[in-house]
Amino acid sequence: MQADYVNPIFKAANDVFNSMLQLEVSRGDLETNDNLVSTKEANISIGVTGDLNGSILFSFPEDMVLDIVEGMSGMEMKEIDTFVTSAMGELANIICGNALTTLNENNYNCDIVPPQVLIGKGQTVAMSTEQVLTINLETDIGEFDLNISIS
Amino acid sequence: MIWKERYKIGVEEVDRQHKELFNRLNDFLQVVRSEEDMEKKAAEIEKTLNFMGEYVVVHFDSEEEIQREYNYPDYEEHRQTHERFKQEIMEFKQEFEADKCNEELVMEFSGKLLTWLIHHVAGADQKIGEYVDNN
Repeated sequence: MQADYVNPIFKAANDVFNSMLQLEVSRGDLETNDNLVSTKEANISIGVTGDLNGSILFSFPEDMVLDIVEGMSGMEMKEIDTFVTSAMGELANIICGNALTTLNENNYNCDIVPPQVLIGKGQTVAMSTEQVLTINLETDIGEFDLNISIS
Repeated sequence: MIWKERYKIGVEEVDRQHKELFNRLNDFLQVVRSEEDMEKKAAEIEKTLNFMGEYVVVHFDSEEEIQREYNYPDYEEHRQTHERFKQEIMEFKQEFEADKCNEELVMEFSGKLLTWLIHHVAGADQKIGEYVDNN
């Protein structure tokens, strides 16, 4: 069951990072937590509704989001502002959208809710499961977390 | 520079237009992210937005014509993506017209636009290149 949605989400993240940013994403540690809490500075939460329900929280370190948006825009980004969070929110939205296409092909009828941005560590998102699955993802420009609370 | 050689799809006309589109997006972002007061840069934002918005239509029409010419199988899906994108630009223009000094609104639209356009050109459009190459 867990693999049914974890694998499409990971594959979508890898595909999107690869085509847009020329970055490979590899899986690091996988752990379970009791709360859906942001683990890094720049966070995007995307709600999932339908056959699967819950939230996916992307947690990125500040340096990494600035690097990504600098790479895409060719402009210097000094801080996490609305431009940066909006660009990253759309990136997370695209990843979840692609994952959803795979889930729909696998007979899970789901939809996603537009991204919400949370700045800072320790921000809490409402959970729909007792435990949260946190996957650490590694790239050449930094590590980020995918926190998944879906049932 | 916002344009990257790896965004090329191998169809000369489309690549030339993509490059022009990214140049126009670059001009728009430069204005949006300049340190000037919003009151001062609103007119310039409007001008570059119109300039880019008009070119999006020219480019999408031309890209769709190439797809029809080659009987591209995902034509309809691609056309719908273009339509949704044009709609989003139009909606933003209306919001901007109603509230020209809202810098947050402009920043939010610009960030989304940047990611969306790169994703579209580096993803969906590459498939057109592969198809044209094989047919």
